[in-house]
Amino acid sequence: MVESDKQKITRNRRYARQVILPQIGSEGQKILGKTSVLIAGAGGLGSISSLYLAAAGVGHIIIADHDHVEESNLNRQLLHSEVSLGIEKTKSAAIRLTELNSSIKITPLQTKMTRQNIDSIAKKVDIFVDATDNYNTRQILNRASLKYNIPFVFGGVQGFDGLVSCFVPGRTPCFECVIPCPKKENNSLGIIGAAAGIAASIQAMETIKLILNIGTGEDRLENRLLRISGLDMKIKSIKLEPDPECTACSDVDP
Amino acid sequence: MEIELNGLKETIPENISIDALIDLFKEGDPDLIVEINCKYIFPKNYKTTTIMENDTIEFINPNLGG
Ligand SMILES: [Zn+2]
Repeated sequence: MVESDKQKITRNRRYARQVILPQIGSEGQKILGKTSVLIAGAGGLGSISSLYLAAAGVGHIIIADHDHVEESNLNRQLLHSEVSLGIEKTKSAAIRLTELNSSIKITPLQTKMTRQNIDSIAKKVDIFVDATDNYNTRQILNRASLKYNIPFVFGGVQGFDGLVSCFVPGRTPCFECVIPCPKKENNSLGIIGAAAGIAASIQAMETIKLILNIGTGEDRLENRLLRISGLDMKIKSIKLEPDPECTACSDVDP
Repeated sequence: MEIELNGLKETIPENISIDALIDLFKEGDPDLIVEINCKYIFPKNYKTTTIMENDTIEFINPNLGG
């Protein structure tokens, strides 16, 4: 579809404060508008990454979750509010994101991501933004990331802390190289909302950098694990390398 | 010898492995991530990686909530 002058003017007005950045510009804004992103989870992380990506004008946001909004979500899941209690999280998310930016497409996917349905989801998106709360779903996303060559922007939070990294097939280790399957179950973790906010904001920033190919791999969080330690407020970048024996990615390259 | 562990100066025996360090400090998390001098160490190498004097080491409990 050919873009009209009016569409271009509207876009450049709405996104003026980022279009003036040399790294984005009018062309970059247009690319953001043509990009589809999966936000895998509408909880603490997904609330913040989806708001920033919608505000930035990412053209299509698919937000997936299978839960309903509960009162104990509200300390951190800023997509939802008291009026959304009891309703589907993705419906609540779609309402809020559309209020924020009605010019982009929001697709709520009220389902659990599984090995069965991930293929059809992956085929529709350019990038995965991790906002899940468990290892199994991350493993499903990681395998699909490797299979379909889709960057996977990992984020995980607990307590006052967070971890973030960009796993890009062919350029970096994969999620499973770095985080092996947990030996112990971790249910209902304590979490301060701002920890999710920090990690998810970094994920949103890295997602935009990946979409627009801003900076080098070293500038982006590729081959690095960012560790945010909120109690002593220290942020550390840990150098990563692929595990040659990783069962998920080691035989990906022919 | 002296090392820095989780931001604190510690004195530990020489030539010990990460595995031994984990035991020494009674770190109970079976899913622990260890980084030495800002480099990630694969868990399968905890037995064979020896701690050197003045190493800066961090024990990280993986955060997998969302
Ligand atoms: Zn791997």
